[in-house]
Amino acid sequence: MTDIRKTIVVTSVGVVSPYGIGLDYLQAGMFSGKCCLAPTKDLYPGFEGTTAQVCGLPLPAEGSNSGYSRTDRLAVVAARDAVADFDCESVAFRESGVVMASTVAGLTEIDPGIAQDPAAWYRRGGLLRASSYPVAHVADTVGAHLGIRGPRCAVSVACASGAMAIALAANMLLDGAAPMILAGGSDALCPFTLSGFNSLQALDPSPCKPFDQNRKGLNLGEGSAVLVLETLAGATARNANVLAVLRGWAMTNDAFHPTAPQKQGNGLATCMRLSMEMAGVSCGEVGYVNAHGTGTPLNDIAEANAYETAFSGRQRPIPVSSTKSYFGHCLGAAGALEAALTITAVRCGALFPTLRLSNPIESPGVDWLRGEVRRQTLPLAMSVSAGFGGSNTALIFGSGRS
Amino acid sequence: MTPNLPTITGIGSVSSYGPLAGLIPRCPLEPSAITAWTTAGLRRAFLVKPFRPASVVPGLKTRRLDRLSAWALVASSLALKDAGIELSQVDRARVAVVFATGFGCVELTEAFYQSADANGWSGTDPSTFPETLANAPASHVALFHDLRGPNITVGSKGFAGESALIQATSLLRHGQADLAIVLAGDTLTRAVYEWYEAAGLLSPACYNSESVSEDGGFVPSEGVAALLLEPAGRLEARSYAHLSSGRWAAGGQPVDTIRQMLGGSVPSLTICAGNGAPCATSSTTALARELTGYGAVIVPPQAVAAGLADTSALLHLILALSSRLGSGQALLLGTSGDSGFAALLLELP
Repeated sequence: MTDIRKTIVVTSVGVVSPYGIGLDYLQAGMFSGKCCLAPTKDLYPGFEGTTAQVCGLPLPAEGSNSGYSRTDRLAVVAARDAVADFDCESVAFRESGVVMASTVAGLTEIDPGIAQDPAAWYRRGGLLRASSYPVAHVADTVGAHLGIRGPRCAVSVACASGAMAIALAANMLLDGAAPMILAGGSDALCPFTLSGFNSLQALDPSPCKPFDQNRKGLNLGEGSAVLVLETLAGATARNANVLAVLRGWAMTNDAFHPTAPQKQGNGLATCMRLSMEMAGVSCGEVGYVNAHGTGTPLNDIAEANAYETAFSGRQRPIPVSSTKSYFGHCLGAAGALEAALTITAVRCGALFPTLRLSNPIESPGVDWLRGEVRRQTLPLAMSVSAGFGGSNTALIFGSGRS
Repeated sequence: MTPNLPTITGIGSVSSYGPLAGLIPRCPLEPSAITAWTTAGLRRAFLVKPFRPASVVPGLKTRRLDRLSAWALVASSLALKDAGIELSQVDRARVAVVFATGFGCVELTEAFYQSADANGWSGTDPSTFPETLANAPASHVALFHDLRGPNITVGSKGFAGESALIQATSLLRHGQADLAIVLAGDTLTRAVYEWYEAAGLLSPACYNSESVSEDGGFVPSEGVAALLLEPAGRLEARSYAHLSSGRWAAGGQPVDTIRQMLGGSVPSLTICAGNGAPCATSSTTALARELTGYGAVIVPPQAVAAGLADTSALLHLILALSSRLGSGQALLLGTSGDSGFAALLLELP
């Protein structure tokens, strides 16, 4: 018997991605097999690489006097998209909470000039720009922009941030912290992160090849996704359309290395198993995994090993793909964008393949999706995220129709 | 008895009082002069005096870490020691780390910008970049203690510390962890201090040793406070406080919401957790008075904790517990902006 007060559902999804504003554009682009990764030269002097940028979109509050960073603006666009059809005067909406993830936050607005003489840099107009530096600013901006007054929290756990924001929002709903919560992530491209990943030699100069034996690294992207989460009781009371049920979620840490994943993927495997335990399902019941799949040599092999462990005992290999092959790694937004695509997989019965995957890692327990979009009925799908510092998060979504 | 409530069983801190396990002995504390960078005249703050982490936690290696990560490691170790927790006897996959920060690893972020300024974006330091991430301190705590449970880093304007406490309580309540180390803190750097200064937020006490910190504005501080949170019931555990419930919001009707949370009870003690706002004009104290009337004890914001801004709540709580103000119900109360608030109800044994 389902306890509708303890069942967490997704009632809306807002997205801004290199494909445009809205989940429909993202889905349509991916159904067509379009890849948004493109050669990039102008992000800082000397940089040449491949990224996926959000270009030509009407972002709010353009200009340096707004106090909004580019990360904030992407988040606001996604949040507005998520609540476009909502009754913004309702009590449930006004009391909503916000849990937003970011790793970059306002670093987009700061330049190396701050390093020599901060006070002078602030006098030159940097004061307001620097105020967007704290990661909390992203959540606060979304809440303030929408005029909602529930709890606002930001999450920053590197590349697992977006998924963890959703998991923490689910916990908060179970605790009755707010009637609904806007949860997701946002990150913008900026020289700081491009330079950082470049210095680590983690970037593939060409479009990335997640899970391919010849993978060379990741590509950075930018975007934002915001999911509206609420209890089934709340959604039913306001007659909301349930897109998906968040059946299970879990968070673990590798406790292995500051940047490298544990090679056997034990922490990630445990995370997936815990999420299945929470959902009350066996590994055979999960029909698809939207992988973290960055395309770096270390991540992808650890992840493949984690799937072998977490899904051992299945009769058939677990279908897995990395959608980062379409629009890059959006860091703090990645987990939220991939959660949105996992919901799409469940709703549409569409499993997006990994692009450019010609020679997959040998992993007998994994069915690496490549080639055409696979169509199949999918009761349950999982999205997994991992990040620097060893954080892992797994989310399991089920159909909202039942 | 409150057998099902998460309980604070260990305290550790790295603050202007030094690195300490347990309660903080009461002693007067003055801001000290900033010498880490060249200032135009006297500039003061509540600073953490340099110390060797390995002298506090034997075996701790912090040479490659920034101060925030090092302090998180020290504070977490002191909290575990204070709680009498022997980690070899604990399932470390069930221990969570929840870390609250306002500015994250800002020291190394500044260092990364300096390397970009000196060498261009193409010549930045690869060893620095991963340590600029806000979750680096929490991940170092997990790595050092081999803690494989949820590892969460949060920020929240005005209420990061309260948010971390509430998130950790939630993990215990939902069976996602058996123990949680909750940490909150920040480091004070030149860029942060000069931002406060340029924004006109500083107290006259930052410029003049004759001024008192309550003259308006605030005196920035730095440090990391840690609390060990576990379900009540471990026989040998000390109990500093039980966490009963918590709420925080960016707006609305604080009095109504908090009264609803209190369920008719009136706490005998309210701990005001001011966070960077001018200490002398405490909207938190006014709200506390409205909630609990004139018979209740109200602990005003402590300047040394208030200087931690978003991450002040844990140090405020530790300082209040250190004052040993009696038993019964206590409210940890913070306000921010027009009507933002955070309220946590505690039972003091």
